[in-house]
Parts: sequence; structure tokens; C-alpha cells
Amino acid sequence: MASLTDHLTDLVADVDAALLFSPTSSFYERFADDEVEVVVVAPDNDVDAETFVELPLPFDNVKDRIRFGIEGAIDEDLLAEGDEVACVASVFDGGSDALVRVTVDEGIHTGIFDLFANSRAEPSVIRDVFEVAIELGKKGQKGKPVGALFVVGDAGKVMNKSRPLSYNPFEKSHVHVGDPIVNVMLKEFSRLDGAFVVSDSGKIVSAYRYLEPAAEGVDIPKGLGARHMSGAAITRDTNSTAIVLSESDGLVRAFKAGELVLEIDPEEY
Amino acid sequence: MSAAQITVPEFLANVPYRIWLALGVLLFGLLLAYLTGVINRRLLRRAGVPEVIEGTAFERTAREFDTSTVRILARLSSYFILAVTVIVALTVADVNYLEQFWSGVAAFLPRLFVAVVVFIVGIVVGDKAELLVAERLRGIKLPELGVLPTLVKYSVVYVAALIALGQVGVQTLALIVLLAAYAFALVLFAALATKDLVASAAAGVFLLLRQPYGIGDEVRVAGERGIVQEVDLFVTHIETDGEEHVVPNHAVFREGIVLIRG
Repeated sequence: MASLTDHLTDLVADVDAALLFSPTSSFYERFADDEVEVVVVAPDNDVDAETFVELPLPFDNVKDRIRFGIEGAIDEDLLAEGDEVACVASVFDGGSDALVRVTVDEGIHTGIFDLFANSRAEPSVIRDVFEVAIELGKKGQKGKPVGALFVVGDAGKVMNKSRPLSYNPFEKSHVHVGDPIVNVMLKEFSRLDGAFVVSDSGKIVSAYRYLEPAAEGVDIPKGLGARHMSGAAITRDTNSTAIVLSESDGLVRAFKAGELVLEIDPEEY
Repeated sequence: MSAAQITVPEFLANVPYRIWLALGVLLFGLLLAYLTGVINRRLLRRAGVPEVIEGTAFERTAREFDTSTVRILARLSSYFILAVTVIVALTVADVNYLEQFWSGVAAFLPRLFVAVVVFIVGIVVGDKAELLVAERLRGIKLPELGVLPTLVKYSVVYVAALIALGQVGVQTLALIVLLAAYAFALVLFAALATKDLVASAAAGVFLLLRQPYGIGDEVRVAGERGIVQEVDLFVTHIETDGEEHVVPNHAVFREGIVLIRG
């Protein structure tokens, strides 16, 4: 046992900050008079922490969760490059059961925080679209994988850089991505070709849009098809964010400013 | 000893029939009071009252005295029934002295009971309203808004106190005048402050229902030309190169809309 305890002591030796992921308030209070800087990363600031980073998605993948927390803390100038951070998180259901030591460096920066916090659209809207895309990726249509392309934010400009493929089923409707009805409509969604355009506040503006951005010089990983290409290109031409569900490999990817920022496997959620 | 044994049944036989009846009424009343207390407590619990009022100041004070609001209310109904029973029993037993007094009490008791219940409910509702408003405002870190929850609480308590005082027959005219003046000021201020918002919302309903322009259209409204980015109940967002104009909907409506095609 001694070596285990020693290892734990080594893990937390001279850390600059402690990141607590969704702590309970009694757990948080135990850190109250600790000299280490404490940053709380959670969906809501239930514990009234002074330094708090909002977690828009639950991020089942602990790596993504930690990345998000660290990037958020960097963004709020709580952490700097080179800092040593101890992260207390929950890997399985239940309380905080894991301790991870991370060195803040360039490699940890994936833009995942940027995607939510600094997008034109509201973070909750991006999260909702993610959830819709993930749900769609899980279900597919009649067991077959489907693809989908959502362009979120800056809808006015996106509409002017695209044209309709068919009648817009969302004309004069007021459906928002967070609405419960969207989950019911998911199956129908997968049949529609073209892109979905979602406004900053989450209103589904249009389906069946054919995007016409200038695609020269857009650099996306090889092997991704036309859907990803047009999604990435429109985010470079406008201030929008593209969330793409791939038909071929079933992954959900997010593009911003023409670059891939996040890749999620729906099966992990 | 034998004399005493004889006198007890004799004494019992001599007790007037009315007294027996009164005792019976009293016993029945006790039982009823107890049952009412238990049933009331259960009903209030079942209705989820303890969860709803949890955390209110009244409940916390009650907890300090090792009781709870629900228990107090249940007790109150028990005592009320008990008091009525005692009066009925006294009447049945034909206790003549102070008859005037008892009849006055009998008439007054239900009103007092209602007054106390109204007052307690008023305090609890006021506390709850304060909590709700405070919770709503917690996201907005503006110290000036701190008086709002207290204001809401005391308004509710004030009205409850008015009703309670009215029940027990206290002259409340002056207090009612005060309340009317307060309500009038509140309505006036609200109307003045939200005039534009209400007008915008009315125009916004039209814009959302009829959609004379949608997201992506190029328009000129209220002197600003650009692409519509967002239409909601109160405002329309219009964007030109790098500039986003947030135009209140009543201005859109008043000055008309120019749709630019081409």
C-alpha cells in the first residue's frame, strides 16, 4: 500500500492548480482552505465556486472533458502554458474516482473550448446540435448509417451563400434544435439531402440547402468527402460552425474557420 | 366501605343525562380532533407541501422549535375542532353561567381559525415567493435587485395580514387604501417601464406569424439596411459588413419594412 500512496503523493506534488470536475458541494468545501488554486468544471455552478468553467456537454470521454476544462481555464487566464494540473474527475458513474496529472502545453489545445465558448451561436445551441447529430449517428435509418450536415450560426450569411435544393420544410415554422419535437423528427431528418441551417439562437432556418462557398484552399483531412468539404468551406466563408455526421465512418465532426476542431464517436455516448 | 360502594352507583345514577351526552360529545370531539390532525398532516404531506415550502424562513423557524409547518397547520385544525367541541359540550351540559360569553366565542372562533391559517399560509407563500424570485435573479449579479425578493415577500405577507385582520373584524380601511396606492404605483411604473417592450412583443408576434421577412433576406428597416440574422419576439438582428443592428420590433413596425430583392 505504501507504494500506492507514494505514487499518489508524487502525482499531486507541486501542482499549480486542481481541476474539480462536477464536484459535490461537500467535496468542494474540503478544498476551501487548500493553498492550491481550485477550478471547478461542471455543467452548472452548483457549489458557487469563484473560478468556474462551464461544461456544455457531459463528455463521456474523460480526455475530452479534461481538455475542455483546461482550455476553458486557459481562456479565463486561470492557467498558463507549463502549469502542472491535477484533475479530479469521475470516470465511472458516481463520485470523483480518478486523479489525473496533466501538463498544460500546446498539444492539449484542440479548440474544443473555443468551439463552444467563442462561437457565434450560443453554447447551448451548439450542444443541442451536437446531441441531435450524435443521436442521428446512433440511430441511423433502418440500421443503415446516415450522414447529415448542420451549419450553426450566422444563418443570414449562410442562407445567402447557399441555395435551396427543394421546398424548405421549415418555412414559417418555429422549431428550435432544443425542442423535444426535434427528437421525434430525427428519423425524417435523415432522409433530407443537403445542409440544415440553424440560427444563432437555435432556430432551424432551413433544410435542403446546397452550400456554395468558395472551397479553394480548404484543408481538411484526406478521406473526408464532399459533405465535410462543403461544411468546412462554409465555416471559412462565414462565422458559422459546421457539425457533420459522416455517413462512411459514423463520426461526428465539428469545423470552425475551415478547420476540424472536434471529432466524436456517437457510439461512445 | 359498604356505604361508599353504594354511593358510587347512586351518584352515577343521579348524574343528569345531559352530562353524559356532554361527555360523549367531548370524547367524540377528542377523537375527531386527533383524526383530523393526522389526516390533515397526511394530506399536506401527500400534496407535497413539505417539499414545496422547504427552505422558507417560516419552515426553518418551525424546524428550530422542533416542529414543522405541516405539523403546525395540522395541530391548528385539531385545536379548532377541540375548541368547538368544548363549546358544544358546555352547551349540551347546559352550563348557564357566562352564556353570553360562550356564544360570542363560538361565533368568533371559526373566524380566528381562518385568520390564523390565512396568515400562516401568507407567510409561507411570501417566503416561497421570495426564494423563487431570488433564485431567478441569482444569475444576474446586480446588487440593486436584492430588494426585489424582499419586496415581493412583504407584499404577499401584507395582503395575507389584511385578509386575516379582516376576518377577525379589525378596521382595515386605512391599510386597504395603502395597498391600493401601492398597487396603483406598481402598475403605473410597470406600464411606463415596459411600454416599449409590450409594443415590441405585439409587433414581434405579427412578424413571427406572418414572416414578412425571414432569416437571410436583405431588408431595410428603421433606416438600417442589411441581412436578417435573427427575428425574435422583441428584436430583429440585421447585419451589414461587420455591423449588427439590433432593431426593436415596434420600430420595425412603425417605420415599415423594405424588402430588397435582386
